[in-house]
Amino acid sequence: MKYALKMTGPVQQVLRALLEDAAVPRYGLELSRQADLETGTLYPVMARLERVGWVESSWEDADLSISDGRPRRRYYQLTKDGAEQARLALAEISFRREKRRSGLGSPQPGPLEVPL
Amino acid sequence: MSRRLLGRPEPDAGQDDALARLREILRVTRPGADIELIGRAYEAAEHWHQGQTRRSGDPYITHPLAVAAILAEAGADDEMLCAGLLHETIEDTPYTLDALSREFGAKVAALVTETAALDHAKGQGRRRAARVMAAAESADARAVVIKLADRLHNMRTIQFIPQAKQLRKAGESLDIFAPAAARLRMDSIGAELETLACATMKRNRHARSASGRLLLAVAALLPAATRVRWCEEWLGELHTLPARRGRARFAIHTMLGIPRLAVTVRLPAPRHRRPGR
Repeated sequence: MKYALKMTGPVQQVLRALLEDAAVPRYGLELSRQADLETGTLYPVMARLERVGWVESSWEDADLSISDGRPRRRYYQLTKDGAEQARLALAEISFRREKRRSGLGSPQPGPLEVPL
Repeated sequence: MSRRLLGRPEPDAGQDDALARLREILRVTRPGADIELIGRAYEAAEHWHQGQTRRSGDPYITHPLAVAAILAEAGADDEMLCAGLLHETIEDTPYTLDALSREFGAKVAALVTETAALDHAKGQGRRRAARVMAAAESADARAVVIKLADRLHNMRTIQFIPQAKQLRKAGESLDIFAPAAARLRMDSIGAELETLACATMKRNRHARSASGRLLLAVAALLPAATRVRWCEEWLGELHTLPARRGRARFAIHTMLGIPRLAVTVRLPAPRHRRPGR
């Protein structure tokens, strides 16, 4: 299956973290801790997820941050479609990994699959 | 009330509010105001600024309307109200000073020019301060009052502009405009300018720290249209980190990701994309 974006390791880590509770919006720093990624890796991933519409981001209420005397924070959340796609993609990836590990019915048997 | 001012065809909600507020303020503060003239100035401004938007996304006309409302509250005369409504048309639209002068008179045109002139001498803080103060002390300080109203509304909506600019505007408000307001005995405008400027300085203090400056410098790699968003987001995060060490770490790691981020945000939008941010 072809996904809207390349399912790199960091992308998967972010999606897993977001799917832990898809309804809760999170800010970047929080997400970088939960996904165990440095912010330098996280933000480009977030930009890619946003580009394909899996994730949405929005500013927190400006009045709130102004009354606290700090800049606004940006919150990320999976879109409905994004959560669905992400669940599917992650399931498929782990299914394939399992299959590869157990060596059962690999769709493209390469030379390594042939028992020596 | 002018029929034109009352019955505009389907204006935007924010615009409608602002127009209604201006009308209401004028009814209370200046029952003798030349509503026909002011209505015409509004229509000219609305016409020439059509299609332009504020950083907030609001139609541009909301700004001159808000400026006029501040002026009306301060008891400004008809010429000032017109100049307030038209104050950006000459610089930012194809409207010419000649046409403005023909349609609204030489005095309104002169006020618009003088107000714009107070903005110039940019980058020369002290000279600009001296100029504004001299104008505030002159016999006709009306242009300064228009400028104060303009600045006050800009400070009220300052969260929509980039941090670096926020800090500069806040600095100018404290150094130039609040003192000018004090000189003109416009205490409530002066006090509000000071409050807004101090809050802006405090809110953005991390933009001036070593970590903030590092991030903002490397963020120059991002296209201007998205840079503002990321800078604000990162300064928001920096602000929540209590220790300098943590902030430096955040800044360095985030900075390392900026080149890749710059590539991502420059990619053409995928076809099935949802409508823009």
